[in-house]
Amino acid sequence: MYNPDTVPVHALKDVHVSFEKGEFTSIVGPSGSGKTTLLNMLGGLDKPTSGSVEIDGMDISKLKDSALIDFRLKHIGFVFQHYNLIPVFTALENVAFIMLLQNRPKEEMNARATSLLEMVGLGERLEARPAQMSGGQQQRVAVARALASEPKFILADEPTANLDSESAMNLLDIMEKMNREQDVTFIFSTHDQRVIDRAKRVIKMVDGSIAEDVTIQA
Amino acid sequence: MKMIFTIAWRNIWRRPARSGVLLASIIIGLWAGVVAVGTMNGMMNQRVNYLIDSEITHLQIHHPEFLTERRPSDMIPNVEEIRAFLRTQPEVVSYSTRSLSDGMLQSAVKASGVRIRGIDPELEQQTTTFYRNMVEGEYLSDTFRNPVIVGQAMANDHHLRLGDRIVLTFEGLNGQLTSTAFNIVGIFRSASSDFDTFNVFVHSDDMNRYLGAEGIVHEMAVLLTHADFSSEVTTRLNEQFSGIEAQTWQELSPELSTIVELSGLMLFIITLVIMAALAFGILNTMLMALFERMREIGMLISIGMSRKKVFSMILLESLLLTLVGALLGLLLAWLSISYLSVNGVNFGMFAEGIAELGWDHIVFPVLTSAEYVSILVLVASVSLLSAVYPAFKAIRIHPLEASKGLT
Repeated sequence: MYNPDTVPVHALKDVHVSFEKGEFTSIVGPSGSGKTTLLNMLGGLDKPTSGSVEIDGMDISKLKDSALIDFRLKHIGFVFQHYNLIPVFTALENVAFIMLLQNRPKEEMNARATSLLEMVGLGERLEARPAQMSGGQQQRVAVARALASEPKFILADEPTANLDSESAMNLLDIMEKMNREQDVTFIFSTHDQRVIDRAKRVIKMVDGSIAEDVTIQA
Repeated sequence: MKMIFTIAWRNIWRRPARSGVLLASIIIGLWAGVVAVGTMNGMMNQRVNYLIDSEITHLQIHHPEFLTERRPSDMIPNVEEIRAFLRTQPEVVSYSTRSLSDGMLQSAVKASGVRIRGIDPELEQQTTTFYRNMVEGEYLSDTFRNPVIVGQAMANDHHLRLGDRIVLTFEGLNGQLTSTAFNIVGIFRSASSDFDTFNVFVHSDDMNRYLGAEGIVHEMAVLLTHADFSSEVTTRLNEQFSGIEAQTWQELSPELSTIVELSGLMLFIITLVIMAALAFGILNTMLMALFERMREIGMLISIGMSRKKVFSMILLESLLLTLVGALLGLLLAWLSISYLSVNGVNFGMFAEGIAELGWDHIVFPVLTSAEYVSILVLVASVSLLSAVYPAFKAIRIHPLEASKGLT
């Protein structure tokens, strides 16, 4: 609940949901339905007014700020709507940055970053900066960055919103491949029907509550 | 750490124009400020060194009442013992003996008050550099009987030339006034036109003869290897000999000490003003950079960059930018001071006014290595302090607020 003392806004009401490893799940709903708020809770970017958010048995809503940041670094990957790459870094450096924060050895950082960028089809663009790449390419770098930390799951808020059709399909192909081959868990918040169509599970939210939770593929 | 350094360095150049303006202001501000400081240092050092080298020397010895009463009978006792003692002190380079009297100078044009200084030219040349101030004639040569050298300002005042005769009147040991003719054999010009107006130099032998006794010494001026030893040697003299008063150059010239202290205060104020301008420049630039990057910083915290690292990154950006400017500014200042310390800064248009105050119109700036390092450390400290507020604002960014959810 936001603004409890003035005009209370119940962004989420009585939400009980759990996710398993390997899911490819879309959270859908109209604007204001609470899907972004739910994603923020899952990512530890927001805390519930009441209730808990447990990841592998740990209630992250009780963690202090520094511990939460560290938890996100090690266990959660993020793909933002506006890519949010570091503009002064190359593609390689952007992906390696996460591993740098995790204090991984330099050789491992560079090798893994290169491998991930090749996996998302950007092996030829390692030294390019975000300003030199298309939106689709930037989003693919963002996906590689999210994968770099070997997270438990990746949260993506409207990842295809700013992409053209071809780029969006390419991105979805990559994420689906990661999910299928490497069991990477993806949880999307989206309006994009193309994303919804690819999801194995669709959670529909209305007015802060879960209206429907449908598993499409086993 | 390297990547934090890389991100900080590249962030500086995201807005080349903005960073360039701050950089230019740091470079020019430091360059001008440091050269100004060096010039003031040079002025002070020259003034102090000139007075020490040409007049006061590092310490002087008098009869305890001489400087206040100025009686001819207040002579230094045990001069030979004091000479012997000075010869045993490793810090002592040389010394000279003087007999002094205040009297009147009578020329064909007018009469005026004057301080008559009886010196031993040979000892005096070993102890002070005053002989270099001669502009006409010779430094108390024996060509004429009763030679005297006068200041150019006095010569102009009395319309005196080489070879002219003046009458000096002063009190003898017996309390009687004595008047004697002296022949002008030289004219000097020191850095102080005041000094030139009120002082004349004669042989101490001639002076003592008219004072009424041989070997009269009212003042001993001692030159040391370094000014830092003044206090120590003065203390030893006062402990060794009763019946005298030895004083350091600071005690002999309290106005000079005051000027040096005031100069230090002015330098401090100049430095403070420059640092304040620097601080506001950095604060403004860093805040602007921060407001432009709030979403990015929110993203960094979202993906797991600790607030401590964010804080360090902001401080590092400020420090790097400032250090680049500081090093370039100091380099320019060093080059300028190196050149000017040899060729001098000529304040010729103010020469006359400056001379009235006793200052030389050609100034040689000086700055020690320790002072360069101090300035660099000060600039770095100001840079870090100025960046603290923007850094605190950065770490208080909520990733949610800055990134509008996960976007």
